[in-house]
Amino acid sequence: MSAFDHLKIVSQLLDLPIVDRDERSCGVVDDVELSGAAGKETRIEALLVGPGAYEGRMPAWMYWLVRKIAGDRIARVPADQVIEIGSVVKVKSGAEKLGLHLVENKVRAWIPRKGAL
Amino acid sequence: MNPLELTLGIMTAVGGFVDISELVFAAKAGSMFGYALIWVFVLGTIGMSVFGEMSGRVAAIARQPVFSLMRHRLGLKLGLITLAGSLISTLITCAAEVGGMALILNYLTGLPYALLAIASVVALMASMWILPFQWIERTYGLLGLMMIVFALALVAIHPPWAMVASGMIPQVPRGLSPKELLTFSYFVVAILSAVLFPYESYFYSSGGIEEGWGPKDLLTNRVTCTVGFGLGSLLAISILAASAQLFGPINVSPEIPGSSALEAAIPFGRGGLLLALLGMLFAVAGAAVETCMSNAYAVAQFFGWEWGRHVKPWDAPRFTLAWIAVMLLALLIVLTGVDVMSLVEYAALFSIIVLPLTYLPLMLLANDRSYMREHANKWLAKGLGWLFFVIVTVAAIAAIPLYLLTSGGQG
Repeated sequence: MSAFDHLKIVSQLLDLPIVDRDERSCGVVDDVELSGAAGKETRIEALLVGPGAYEGRMPAWMYWLVRKIAGDRIARVPADQVIEIGSVVKVKSGAEKLGLHLVENKVRAWIPRKGAL
Repeated sequence: MNPLELTLGIMTAVGGFVDISELVFAAKAGSMFGYALIWVFVLGTIGMSVFGEMSGRVAAIARQPVFSLMRHRLGLKLGLITLAGSLISTLITCAAEVGGMALILNYLTGLPYALLAIASVVALMASMWILPFQWIERTYGLLGLMMIVFALALVAIHPPWAMVASGMIPQVPRGLSPKELLTFSYFVVAILSAVLFPYESYFYSSGGIEEGWGPKDLLTNRVTCTVGFGLGSLLAISILAASAQLFGPINVSPEIPGSSALEAAIPFGRGGLLLALLGMLFAVAGAAVETCMSNAYAVAQFFGWEWGRHVKPWDAPRFTLAWIAVMLLALLIVLTGVDVMSLVEYAALFSIIVLPLTYLPLMLLANDRSYMREHANKWLAKGLGWLFFVIVTVAAIAAIPLYLLTSGGQG
């Protein structure tokens, strides 16, 4: 496998939706954390999820706007949590354990639990 | 394939095909250019069938809705720009539908427009809160079938069928002045946009995932997209043809949605008028729900939130908050007093501009064998897909100049 294949893995991984062990949507791969150095093997250490991970991926003015609207939190999903990469990334734990449903659960408290079929 | 499910799916597609923009542009096009713009509805419907089938197939096989794959294919930056464009254009469309509902209710009841807009939004939000996805889709789609009165009205007024049929062949009427030619071109772009609104494929593909489609549903998807959309398009063509027959010769320009209802009143009297207005009301209400949910789908899928109305509203909380916000924003736009017809024109204009960016990633994914396996696009879907991509790109480039040069189709 060449270095370009590794790069392709990163490009194929970025912006894929993440689902937890219960098939619940829990974010998108917003960035990846790499380890390694010049001349050494580069490895993916973790997936980064949340608007804070957009910083290096967009112009400063755009990120400023995103931060004002959505904040700058980042959740880190260790690479060993990933069990499958296809049209989605599947992780082996629940979203709560990985800190991926903080906002979802916060908003859930505002929604009345009645009236829906 | 369950025949009952298939029939219901087709009927829902027929009843849900027409929205406020098609109502307005079809009636105006018929009165201004006779039968000469029917081919644009035919062309647009083929395009809608191609992209609808593709988005349904991607939903069934890759289990990916349009906005997830759009972000993965376009990347974060371009994806965000496309998301923003789609949200704005679909929000304007949603406001146009809500305004259209209030107008139609105003014809029916005589009550104040603003009050009816508020009542409409309350009723729509209640239905979206109470009903699960399939019921929402079917209720509005099946009630929208009252629009069939337009097809019956066309038959009853005995149009020159040979001229109606000849309108299906792509053409530019002879003897148009340069100014009229520009207006004709504006209507070509506006009708294409109205038929191919991007929200339709967001809603359709998300609906496929809401209903848990898989490979077994591919035939249902194909039949719904071809037969359902095709029959739905016949309703829009009926409105155009009746307008050409009834309004064109006496130089009446149907500037408000209510004018279209007269097409049914002329042959069938009061009953026809009532049926036409009710059909229009439910068709437009269905489109308001679709546009509202499409925006919520888009945001939720782009950022990877829990989404869908197959689950309870509190099980997809940010999605729920998103559709509530969209509906309230649409109401706010309507309550500013902006003219519904202007909203319809802005909606068509903005939608055609974002259309190519929505369809490109969809097509790339449908072509990708690593996701789609043996269900990837074959030569026909690929060829038609690229052809329509070129057509919508040309229309997107021409849209703003044509809008400015013709003052929004006023000539």
